[in-house]
Amino acid sequence: MSIRRQLVVALLTALLATGIGASGATWFAVRKAANDLFDYHIEQMALSLADQTLATPAQAAVPLGQDYVVQVWDAGGVLVYISRNGAPLPLLHAGFENVSLDGEQWRVFTLHTPDRAIQVAAPADLRSGRATAVALRTLLPILASIPVYGFLIWLIVGHGLRPLTEIAGAIRRRDPASLDPLPERPMPEEVAPMVAELNGLLLRLREALDKQKRFTADAAHELRSPLTALQIQLDMLARARSPGETQEAIEGLRGGMKRAARLLEQMLTMARLEPQADARRVPVSLDQLVAEVATGLESLAEARRVQVRLARLERSTIEGEPQGLHALVRNLIDNAIRYTPAGGEVRLALFTDSAGVAIVVEDTGPGIPAADRARVFDRFFRLPGSGADGSGLGLAIVKQVADAHGAIVELGEGDGGRGLRVTVRFQAA
Amino acid sequence: MRLLLVEDDVMIGAGVRAGLRQDGYVVDWVQDGVAAEAALDSQQAFALVLLDLGLPRKDGLALLESLRRRGNRVPVLVITARDAVNDRVRGLDLGADDYLVKPFELHELAARIRAVLRRHAGRAEPLIEHGDFRVDPGTRKVFYQGREVSVSGREFSLLRALLDRPGQTLSRAQLEERLYGWGEEIASNAVEVHVHNLRRKLGERAIRTVRGFGYVIGEASAACRSGASLS
Repeated sequence: MSIRRQLVVALLTALLATGIGASGATWFAVRKAANDLFDYHIEQMALSLADQTLATPAQAAVPLGQDYVVQVWDAGGVLVYISRNGAPLPLLHAGFENVSLDGEQWRVFTLHTPDRAIQVAAPADLRSGRATAVALRTLLPILASIPVYGFLIWLIVGHGLRPLTEIAGAIRRRDPASLDPLPERPMPEEVAPMVAELNGLLLRLREALDKQKRFTADAAHELRSPLTALQIQLDMLARARSPGETQEAIEGLRGGMKRAARLLEQMLTMARLEPQADARRVPVSLDQLVAEVATGLESLAEARRVQVRLARLERSTIEGEPQGLHALVRNLIDNAIRYTPAGGEVRLALFTDSAGVAIVVEDTGPGIPAADRARVFDRFFRLPGSGADGSGLGLAIVKQVADAHGAIVELGEGDGGRGLRVTVRFQAA
Repeated sequence: MRLLLVEDDVMIGAGVRAGLRQDGYVVDWVQDGVAAEAALDSQQAFALVLLDLGLPRKDGLALLESLRRRGNRVPVLVITARDAVNDRVRGLDLGADDYLVKPFELHELAARIRAVLRRHAGRAEPLIEHGDFRVDPGTRKVFYQGREVSVSGREFSLLRALLDRPGQTLSRAQLEERLYGWGEEIASNAVEVHVHNLRRKLGERAIRTVRGFGYVIGEASAACRSGASLS
């Protein structure tokens, strides 16, 4: 439904209703005025007749139009005079009265004097006719002006709606792929908030899309390395000349496969985290989560001959997003195991203090030099010489989940200045 | 033929090194830009550098730039995951001889290495022909005076080193540098043994000894020279 058509129809209907109302009121007012006037008229006529001495009724000196009827009765109730031919109106009580005679409505004024009664009557429809004519004359200009009003309203409303039409046009003409903001020309205050909101939405969309694009580009770039390793091992397998070389190439392929799979898994975790900034929060038991994840990573720790120790595990529950928190804890512990040389140890602690709930993961690995600590949260950043195993996403995932939960991630040295200590601190609710 | 591989990814580095070794190259492998620079400064024997761009400590492109600025003309083949046209153009403009985007197949890498080496030696044709020698670096086949001679990997490398600059004498140390990578056990008489074996297969005149200096590839025999001029 067009606003313009709606407004034109509504305004014209209102105008018409007002017009009809006004002429109706006029009709009543005019009829009342006419009635009063006519009543006054016939009353005056009757009074003036009463003052006269009627020698003979025929001498009645009242100028009578065709429409009026005058009747005079004597004290005995005998009709002594009637101004027209035909049946007389009945003799009535004093005052005004409406009488029907032979299908015709009459307005009658009856005046009783001591010696006679005088009646003056006029047809009632004469008065209504006048009133209708006057009322119609009031309505007529209004009716005549309706098309003019309609046209004017059409134009004015169209003009008022032009900013909307322009925005619609601007949107229609846009490159569908463009996320540029709409031009913020001076706008009527009714339209400006809509444009501002739309531009805000476009901006957020663009940021989200840029983020996705960057991630896709990064991901494509990062996938090249494991794919290259796989390709080379495959080539080596194809040209292997001895069972030993074949075995070696197959081992290489296996390693490359594992690495590609892990990278992919981490990328998926990262991608799944993306849109969940406003995910539903539920109570999550961190002690259960930490214990569960640590158990799940036992085989990895065993394979790497790394000891995982739960140093301290206090009951603590926070409001959070379970999948994200799982990814956070898993990456913390997984990272620590991977970067700890065989024979090393990973210590886990979960406790609550005055500042809130803290998860601390400490390893006996090479640690992270202070200069690199800000960069390790970047996606796909790997420390030089840290081996081929890492996806470069572990700490990025940790940071992202922590940010979404308003938690702080601190990097430091482990006990005795060696290894890495990661502390994730959830603010007390 | 000794190559320097600069690659920080352990899996790729190990794979490429193993593959190229099978092709008879001697491969030295470093994992960051600074180590690569040190290697290139201390060792002139590299026939080619395989350079990854995303390197720790010193970026590949920066390394390439400083290398060329210092007048080092060693051929550089860039192997990288950066596939944007701009990156490739920049790499080539900074003095790379070729550009290979990951992932690649080993035999393409080998073919590109051969092509770069060929261009660097000023040849357009894939075969190295000199005097009585016809050597195919792709198949590693050696023809001497028209007949195929089977040679070992090191022997082939030694022959190639001498054929790359015909008429130039290479000392035993220079040949060792080209034949052996870091950390490889070299017997004190290794070069002599290879020369001896080659002479046994090709004839005494194929490689000449320049007393007190080293070795140089032999002059073509008269018969072969006239044959070459006839063809």
